[in-house]
Amino acid sequence: MSAHATKEIPFAGTVPSPQTENEGMITGHWRTRRPVIDRDKCTECLMCWISCPDACITQDDNKGLQFNMKYCKGCGICTTTCPVGAITNVPELDFAD
Amino acid sequence: MGEKKRISGCVAVANAVKLADVDVICSYPIRPYTGIMSELARMVADGELDAEFIHGEGEHGQLSVVYGASAAGARAFTGSSGVGVTYAMEVYSPISGERFPLQMAIADRTLDPPGDFGSEHTDALCCRDQGWLQGWASTPQEALDMTLMWYRIGEDPRVLLPQYACQDGYFVSHILGEVDIPAAAQVKEFLPPYKNHHTLDTRKPQIIGAQIEPVMGPPLQYQRYNAVEGSRKVIAEVHEEFAKIFGRKYAPFVEEYMTEDADVAIFMQGGHAETAKIVARRLRNLGEKVGVVRLRTFRPFPTQEVREALSKFKAVGVVDNSANFGISGGAGVLLTEARTALYNLGDKVKTLGFVAGLGGEMITHEEFYRMFNKLKEVAKTGKVDKESFWLPFEL
Amino acid sequence: MLEEIKSLRKAPREECYVPGHRTCAGCGPALTYRQVAKAAGKNTIFIGPTGCMYVANTSYGCGPWTVPWIHAQITNGGAVASGIEAAYKAIIRKKKTDAEFPAIIVMAGDGGSTDIGLQALSAAFYRGHDILFICYDNESYANTGIQTSPTTPYGAWTTFTPAGPVVPEGKKLLPKDNPKIMAHGHPELKYLATASIGYPLDLMNKVRKGINAKGPAYLHIHAPCPKGWSFPSDKTVELAKLAVDTGMFQLYELTEDRQYRVTYQPKELKPVEEYLKLQGRFAHLQPEHVAKLQNFAQGRLQEVGIEATVPPAAE
Repeated sequence: MSAHATKEIPFAGTVPSPQTENEGMITGHWRTRRPVIDRDKCTECLMCWISCPDACITQDDNKGLQFNMKYCKGCGICTTTCPVGAITNVPELDFAD
Repeated sequence: MGEKKRISGCVAVANAVKLADVDVICSYPIRPYTGIMSELARMVADGELDAEFIHGEGEHGQLSVVYGASAAGARAFTGSSGVGVTYAMEVYSPISGERFPLQMAIADRTLDPPGDFGSEHTDALCCRDQGWLQGWASTPQEALDMTLMWYRIGEDPRVLLPQYACQDGYFVSHILGEVDIPAAAQVKEFLPPYKNHHTLDTRKPQIIGAQIEPVMGPPLQYQRYNAVEGSRKVIAEVHEEFAKIFGRKYAPFVEEYMTEDADVAIFMQGGHAETAKIVARRLRNLGEKVGVVRLRTFRPFPTQEVREALSKFKAVGVVDNSANFGISGGAGVLLTEARTALYNLGDKVKTLGFVAGLGGEMITHEEFYRMFNKLKEVAKTGKVDKESFWLPFEL
Repeated sequence: MLEEIKSLRKAPREECYVPGHRTCAGCGPALTYRQVAKAAGKNTIFIGPTGCMYVANTSYGCGPWTVPWIHAQITNGGAVASGIEAAYKAIIRKKKTDAEFPAIIVMAGDGGSTDIGLQALSAAFYRGHDILFICYDNESYANTGIQTSPTTPYGAWTTFTPAGPVVPEGKKLLPKDNPKIMAHGHPELKYLATASIGYPLDLMNKVRKGINAKGPAYLHIHAPCPKGWSFPSDKTVELAKLAVDTGMFQLYELTEDRQYRVTYQPKELKPVEEYLKLQGRFAHLQPEHVAKLQNFAQGRLQEVGIEATVPPAAE
């Protein structure tokens, strides 16, 4: 048993609900392909937004749709649900970050 | 002020539930505990008790309904007997693990087979290690008082654990006894409203019962262990306070009867202990040094109190009213628990196991005489030829 | 009362099922949860019976809901919800709380709804509790590594229904039709519908109707599972739509007089083969098995009044 096990644990394991993200389970590093949006093509129909299982696409009234790379698993649903082909899946190794 | 009535153990418990102002009740019929629910249903229908009365789809459903109710901040009550108790088995550990201090009344009944309505502690003892508090009442009055005390102990913020309030089927649940039903104001003074460290409330959202990684397992189980262990202190305190408010004083863990200077004693729990007391009194009248120790709180098992109580005798007969096939010692759960309590005293106290009253049979005066005689023989010779006896076949 | 959501643009931006959960990439049930939680909003309590959406969401002692969530056993989602509902009724009536009565939503898998959890579900609906019970149907016991459940389609491979020389079709039984079980025989039922993550607006509005209904509401949501059905993670929504477009899943709700009202009717039904061929779990099927599934789809369509003329399968 590690030392961690003896640390204080909340009553019955109950924890407060998260507010905007669950940092206990960060999933962005799962991703092998990254969705990249072409804002010239995007019509903001919101199909990708409503179809993301991980709520990783958010609406920004000024900057358009935003992708949350901290949690995006790279499933590619946003790409396939886009009716105008505005999103592509680019291999993660193509990016410097 | 309270009133005195001749009522059964079932009706006594129903009166306690009413006095505790329980919010959610979940029923399912099985004899003999059913009488509690029939009485509660009547109270709700007659407007004597304001509670949601839910007809469970079975005992598993009953325990699941009260789990949800307690999680949402309601004082909840349910109950069962026999195979109903074991059918709900899945849900006991989640209830104690999530620390929901609801109460379940158990009026004991045999498990099948035999298809039998009779009382046996086997049902309730099956769930003895689920993180619940557990005790046996031996009279309708005690059944009422235990219901109130268990709620108070279980809901104490230092405890927050569910409770099995057990009574023998028929021998207590269906026999009328004179019961002092306390006044509502007294109960209000004794039992504050139910509050938990965590409840389902959208104004304070929480995640209850999440899966864990293994490293969180030991501290979580240790937390529940400490809650059960810590309840000992609270049990003692609450019995004191109960005596102050209601004037009835119970030994919180073990009740001793005619044990001063006794050489031998019967150790047991439940309603049959009342018969044992009568036999002990008669033997005392004949000059025999015998006594009875009745266990009131079974979980947490009062190891220290049992050791203190039993260590003064030369021989102790542990009466098990449960069928425990293949158990160490050849008798029942109570024998193994009592022996564990006595173990470090060495061979000072001889212990014998008596399995009696199975299937709902009476444990007769005659049988208790035989047990006492066997104990006297062992006390005299210091020899144990046979350590467990199934009555009436082996003694 | 929750208002109808007229368009995706008018849908709440606020998420009640937020990023940070261990569900598979492209998980249909996770998407179901997100859309349900979005539609339901903040005054919601979720009950999560054991299943994928318990295990994968709450691993490591945390979870992705911004609203209260409680675990239930796989057996007892309906009963736990009943208790929560009864508690709120009692403590509000008895003035023991000043909380508002919440939306009480069970999110159970197909095992927790149609199999081991059916007794508790049926009992809760019989008793008339004001809850919304949602079955996210990914057509298998997926959390345990893909075993057949009552809603696994005929012909599907699972680890308990492998195809082999003696059992060439894999699963031999036709699936249980839980919405129909719930629709008839529960007199207290106040709302019932099917939905699909391929049709999110329809789904969210059905969630709201279920919550608005004063009494038990049942929603059966088709939720494709990339792992269990063996398809690429980006095809989840496409498959959900194809299931509807081939008639393998039908979108309807039950009217107050207990009639089926189709809420989305494909303009032209596609052959089931188009749906089957995208999934590895059907890869072993022979033409006679596909024909049986085509018949199955047409039967289900007709039951809810969808004209089931299907063009012949493309060669």
